[in-house]
This record gives sequence, structure tokens and C-alpha cells, in this order.
Amino acid sequence: MVVLILALFGLAILVMASYGYKISAKTAEDYMLAGRTIGVVVMFFFILFAVSSSWTFYGYPGYLYLHGPTYIYFIWGSVAGFAALYMFLGPRLWAVARLNRYLSPVEVLAERYESPLLRLILSLMLLAFIVPYVGIQPLGVGLGFQALTGLPVIVGAIYTVALLVILVILGGMRIVAWVNIFLGIVYATALLGSLIWVVQKFLPGGLPEAAQTLMQTNPELLSAPGPLGRFTPAIIGGTMVVGLLAFSWPHIVIGVMTARDKVLFKWFPLLIFIFGGIFFYTLPFIWGSLVAPAVMPGVTGKEAADSIIQTIITKFLPNWFSVYVLMGVIAAAVSTAAVQLLTSSILVSRDLVQGIFKPDASDRQIIRWARFSLIGVVLLSLGVSIWNPMAMALYLTDVTIPGFAQWGPALVGGLLWKRGTRQGAIVGTLAGLVYLIAGLIYKPLFFDLHPIMPTIIVNLVLYVIVSFLTPPPSEEVQAKFFDEVEEFLAAG
Amino acid sequence: MREIIRHTPGKIFLGILFLSIAGMLFVTRYFPHKVVVFGWMTLPLVSGLVFVFVWLVAYLIYFFKFWPYK
Repeated sequence: MVVLILALFGLAILVMASYGYKISAKTAEDYMLAGRTIGVVVMFFFILFAVSSSWTFYGYPGYLYLHGPTYIYFIWGSVAGFAALYMFLGPRLWAVARLNRYLSPVEVLAERYESPLLRLILSLMLLAFIVPYVGIQPLGVGLGFQALTGLPVIVGAIYTVALLVILVILGGMRIVAWVNIFLGIVYATALLGSLIWVVQKFLPGGLPEAAQTLMQTNPELLSAPGPLGRFTPAIIGGTMVVGLLAFSWPHIVIGVMTARDKVLFKWFPLLIFIFGGIFFYTLPFIWGSLVAPAVMPGVTGKEAADSIIQTIITKFLPNWFSVYVLMGVIAAAVSTAAVQLLTSSILVSRDLVQGIFKPDASDRQIIRWARFSLIGVVLLSLGVSIWNPMAMALYLTDVTIPGFAQWGPALVGGLLWKRGTRQGAIVGTLAGLVYLIAGLIYKPLFFDLHPIMPTIIVNLVLYVIVSFLTPPPSEEVQAKFFDEVEEFLAAG
Repeated sequence: MREIIRHTPGKIFLGILFLSIAGMLFVTRYFPHKVVVFGWMTLPLVSGLVFVFVWLVAYLIYFFKFWPYK
């Protein structure tokens, strides 16, 4: 029965991917950026569920369960970071890409700084950080699969990879965005439905009863620094800053370039604040910080805490609903990994192959390269994740997010600061990257701070200083990236 | 963002956002208190909801009334 339901679920996704292939224009712009036709509602689902991976079901509530409620500061920072991307950087990135038919944000920066070397550095750096992240998603589904069906982890992982590859190869960005609506609804209803059901079944007094129970049994779970003493004010502040840097996640940045028109940037933050910040992300928070510890206290191990919601659902709710929740987890994993995979394939095909090695490649050749590369990326990701799954969890929080942040100064400066130069961008990015790698090898270099903090400060300071010490960008670049963009945005 | 810092409403808008971030960092000193609002809302949740609400109101006023590209 479980296998049949999951097969039908997979089939529904494949039908949508096939439809996407049928209606696509078979151009690179259509495949990579959905023909720049995404409207505000589709964009909202596309971005919200590109961000909300299986981590929001496992890692986030599991961490709250162990450490108390203050980890939510990462979410508050992220909400502000995503809104800032669409309010401050989005209109300019979208306009310059549309005016000049750029297909990748790395391409935008390479043209802005007139530097193929920067294009190579940024492409390789972002690929290095995104590839293992992609692999975590199928593996997460594999664990859920195993818990529910008893089948080996690899079966669920292969099922997810097969869905991903077919969805991205056939559909491209347009159908990935549209399928995210379907996947997002499945995931959100699974998360909300399970929460309501468990509260109704075990906490007749509602959430106040859960809080009251915790106040009596483990009051540290309601305050800082939490039961394990981790969340000092400095750590809470650092957690929020890490969230604020969410504007630099490459698979989110590229979403900006798919927008239909500038009106989207006026409306999009409204959905982010209300449905993302106030509604959606409070669900796993309530689950992990209140309901799970009240219903099932005493879990201490990190892995057990990560699967606390699934354990409660599997133990106390009917089997058919557990299957639906697993579908929700698969939806969360696929909706995130598909966008990451597509972003990786664009970095390979548009920025590395066409941008550096084969500038005269045609649209058909780029699309073919994108499809080949995504198979390579997904296999590599999965291989790395299976080879060393424990290191991957650390890779996500301590390496991937700080790694994504390293192109932040060049990105922001390139779009907002006329004086930012090629040399500044290269020196800042490389310095931040080298510092990050050195600090990961020799931890004291981070001075007990989150890896993102010292590395991004060094990166930013060097970007600004070197930019001031080197000749400003050409007038042609300043006109193309600032004057023409402002005229275009100001015109009706 | 360049268009936002060029006029007074934009500067006020950015100032409010900046102050709200500073406020979020300031209130962490109260988090050791085991206080729940409305019977279940912990302080990090409440402070974040207020933070998002401030950003929401500031954004609505600025982007729908003053944003040069609206």
C-alpha cells in the first residue's frame, strides 16, 4: 500500500514534468529562467519551498527540541534576509539580467566586474558548496522511507533522485517552479495537519497546556540559554546574522531573475512576511519547541531528536497519515533539491562551459550540457553524502552557508556600489574563501565565532579597501549596470 | 537600494529596519526569564513576531506609497 501511494505520488510529478517539457520553448532562457515569466504567487511557492527543505521537518525542530526556543532567531534573520533580497537587490539584478539577456547571477557579476577569472572562481566556489547540500535531501528521504517501510535507506534515496533528475531534465525552471506549488501544499498540509492532530489528541488544553507541562518538567526549554546552555546573547545574535545572510543563497538569488516584471518586487515581501514568517515557519517551531517535548520528553541524542516529529507521528497517528507525512517530506526534499540542482547545472553549462571554455555554444548545446551536468551533480552529491553522512550534517551549517555568503560582498557591491572593482571582488572573495577553509582545518582561527562571522568581515573589508586602491570600473560598465538599469526601472 | 537612500522616506524606512534589528539583539538579555505570553508564546517567538510585524508595516508604507519604482 505504501509503495503504491508513493508510486502514484511520483507519477503525478512525472506527469507534470512531461507537460512542462511539452509546453517549453526549448530555449536556454526558457529552460534556465522559465522564460522570465514567473508571477508573484508562483514565485512565492517557488522560493518558500526551495528554501524549506527536509531540514525544516528534521533538523530545525530537532534542534529546538534539544536547545530551546532561541534558535528561531535564525528564521527571523532568514525572513529579513529573503525580504531584503527582493526589496533591495532583486529589482536591479532582474533589470540588468533582462536588459542584457543574462542567464545566471554569476554571469551578471562576471560582466559587471569584466572578469572571466571571477566567473571561474564564483562558479567553482558555489558548486563546491551546493553539491553536498543537494545530496543531503535524498538521503533524508531515505531515512524516512526506512523508518516507515523497513526498506534500506538507499531505496528512498534512489526514488528521490529519480524523481529529481526526471523533473529537472524534462521541466527546467518553469516546471520546477510550478511543481513547487503542488509539493509545497503537500508539505504544508502534512506539517499543519500533524500538528493539529497531535495537539488535539494529547493536549486538550492546547498549546498553553504544552507550555505548562514544560514549565513543570523542563522549564529551561522555554528560555535562553536552553537546557544545554548553548544560546548566550552573543550566540543568539550570531544566529540571526547567519540568517540575514540568506540573501546570498545562490538557488534563491537565481529565482529573482525568473520574475515576469518589476511589480513582483513590490508584492513579494508581503507574502514572505505574512505566510512565510508569521505562518509557515512557526509550524515547525511550535512542533519542536513545545509540542514534541511535551508529548515525548526525554529524547537526548541528536539523531533521535532530528526525527522526533516523525517518531511521534509514526507511533501515535494512523499509518495512512504517516505515509502522507512522508510524502510531505519527499515534497520538501524534492522542491529544494530540484532548484539547487538546476542552479548547479546552470553554473556548469552557462558559466563554466559557455562562459569559459566554449563561448560560441548554441542554445541547444547549453541545454544539453545543463542536462548532462545535472546527472553528474546528482550522482556526485549522493555519492559524497553516502560516503560520509555524518560530516554532511556539519557541512550544511558550518560550511555550506558560510560558503554561500562569500560571494555576498561582490554581489551586493556589484549591484549597488559603482566604485566596487574587479580586483576588490576577487581579493575579497578569495580571502574569505581561504580563511573559511583554513578555519575549518584549524578551528581556533574562528575565535569561537560562527565561521560566517570572521570570514565575511575579512571578505568585506578587503573588497572595500582594494576597490578604493584600484581604478574604478569603466564608464561603459557604470552606464550599463547603473544608469540604464535605473532608467529602465523608473520607466512605467 | 540606491533609489531608497536618495530620499527622506527611504532613509526613514531603512532606519526603522536597522533599529528593529538592533532591538532584536537588545531584547535577548530578557530571554533567560521563563515568561510565556498568552499562555504559550515564548519570548524569542514574541520578539520575532513583533520584528516581522515592524518590517511588514514599514514595507507596506514605503513600497506602496514612496518607492520610486512602484
